[in-house]
Amino acid sequence: MPPEERLVNLVVALMATEQGLTKDTILTSVSGYREQSDAGAKRDALEKMFERDKENLRGLGVPIETIGDYADPDDLREARYRVPTAEYELPADIEFTAAEIAVLTLAGGVWSERSMSAGARAGLRKIRSLGIDVDEPIIGFAPRLNLREPSFAPLQRAMEQSRVVSFDYIRPGDAQPRRRRVEPLALVEFEGRWHLFGFDANVGAERTFLLTRIGSDVEVTRVAFDPAARDGAGERALTGLRTVAERQRALLEVSAATEAAVRLQRRAVPGPEDEQGIRVPYVDVQVFADELASYGPEVRVVEPAELRDAVVSRLAAALETLEDAR
Amino acid sequence: MSPSPQLATDRAALMLQLVPYLIGKGEVSVVEAAEDFDIPPETMRAMVQRLTVIGLPGEGGFWQMANDLFDIDWDLLDAEDVIVITNTVGLERSPRLTAREAAALLAGLQLAASLPGVGDSGVVQGLLAKLARGAGQTPAEVIVAPAPVDAVRTTVAEALRRGVAVSFTYRAPDAPETTRTVDPAKVSISGGQWYLQGWCHMREAMRTFHLDRVSDPVLTATPATHASEPVPELFEPAEGDDIVELRYRRSAAPLLTEYLRAAETAGDGEWRTARIRVADARSLKRLAARGGGGVGILGPEQARRAALEWVRAGLAQYS
Repeated sequence: MPPEERLVNLVVALMATEQGLTKDTILTSVSGYREQSDAGAKRDALEKMFERDKENLRGLGVPIETIGDYADPDDLREARYRVPTAEYELPADIEFTAAEIAVLTLAGGVWSERSMSAGARAGLRKIRSLGIDVDEPIIGFAPRLNLREPSFAPLQRAMEQSRVVSFDYIRPGDAQPRRRRVEPLALVEFEGRWHLFGFDANVGAERTFLLTRIGSDVEVTRVAFDPAARDGAGERALTGLRTVAERQRALLEVSAATEAAVRLQRRAVPGPEDEQGIRVPYVDVQVFADELASYGPEVRVVEPAELRDAVVSRLAAALETLEDAR
Repeated sequence: MSPSPQLATDRAALMLQLVPYLIGKGEVSVVEAAEDFDIPPETMRAMVQRLTVIGLPGEGGFWQMANDLFDIDWDLLDAEDVIVITNTVGLERSPRLTAREAAALLAGLQLAASLPGVGDSGVVQGLLAKLARGAGQTPAEVIVAPAPVDAVRTTVAEALRRGVAVSFTYRAPDAPETTRTVDPAKVSISGGQWYLQGWCHMREAMRTFHLDRVSDPVLTATPATHASEPVPELFEPAEGDDIVELRYRRSAAPLLTEYLRAAETAGDGEWRTARIRVADARSLKRLAARGGGGVGILGPEQARRAALEWVRAGLAQYS
């Protein structure tokens, strides 16, 4: 019997029992184990298989409960296992309207990244199985999240398991990438870019990282952290990014009726009166400098100097490459 | 369609979803079920057949009785390739959402909520609460902060919803302003940027408009009669475009993703070359300037000159 069938048999058996099944009963009666028991498989091999199956099912979100000996909770020899129906199933009183399903269907289609796309589809399938007929799908809208960073999937997995990650991070201007150890707390898309927000063990504080600057594979360590640290992390990350944008406002001179004017004026905020130019908030000096460089002579950075220098150095480097390319 | 799942755990997850799905459907063809599960039809058929060996444990060492197992209408499957589940022994109701599933839907919802007419319907708030309650595990915080929605976005979305043409002023880079009337077919958000795809009355063809470049939109009373024509992919290169040869640093490749998708590339060292198609070779001056030295233009010479002048003029402002 293939392992997936053994797993499903195990779920059916554990859900059908109120008082729980002992390991012994499971190994000798649940189809998938029973045949191997009958064929004389070694007991400890079967027990290992059962332990693995339990872990895999918990990974799928199946709530397997262990009922130990009341006198000695650490003694698992007589432990019983069960899956409480109420915790396994979607709550009985949860219902979705056709309008809600239409919005969720739109929401489920935004992902290009494989594991999130598959997750959204599986979630939708479970909800649709509640037996709702979709009336009118929302057509004509195609919201999409671009996600090209390979670091996203391992970071997401590490967050789910509350495990510390480590990776090489390239800060612009640094000669060498630096190894960071981070408790990953939230992944945030802000202004079209993905950020990791987490507790940075190297500096002992929460920090925000751009996924595009992660220069190595993300290593998910075996070190766990307190999941409570994740509570409200998304809000803290957003507040942090917005505060930075609030504080950093470039003063720019923009030629009228150009691409730069069209793109930048939308984002401008009021500056001091009688100031020449527009004030545009930005989060990351390097990212903003990339954009401003593309506008060439359409925009001139007045301040800050750091941004101006970053734009000038990009243009100078571009000039060199273009002169070189013959 | 995705291939069959490789991991036994993933296949088990599908089987757990299959029973409530089949109960909900009543009767469903193998092809439709396969589509809904995003697996090949033969995988779906095999999964349904194998379902019938799954069931409750045998009592006291006996093998299971027939009604202890899941069962299907075999005649219907053999004759018409249609699935009907005839006996269930559990799993009737859908499992709760996993952390991954809830996170994926919650983040998608935040983005969808920024669409005018979707977010302000009160539906989103209700959904957020229901998804939180329907999840068996605490989802990881995956947050999407949508850009503010302005009058341009609201008006264009309204035109799409009403099925009427919309008129606006459009300023494409390096081109004079034009007034366009467009039958809206699709509003897309990609990488935080908003686009309108629609049938342009002036060009008499489907066109894509970046909404940042749109101003003074006005709803018309004209029905959008061409909106149902085929809409091309968002960044699909049009035919008969300019061909440009680029030289680029490996680290600049992400900047060129949209161009490189359909390009011939060569080299695998620090510097590579690519022949790309663009609507307008002049537009590459902006790309070269943004590339900060990572993007050079090998030809045509006139594109290279345009980029050189662009970068020089940019630098001259600071000297």
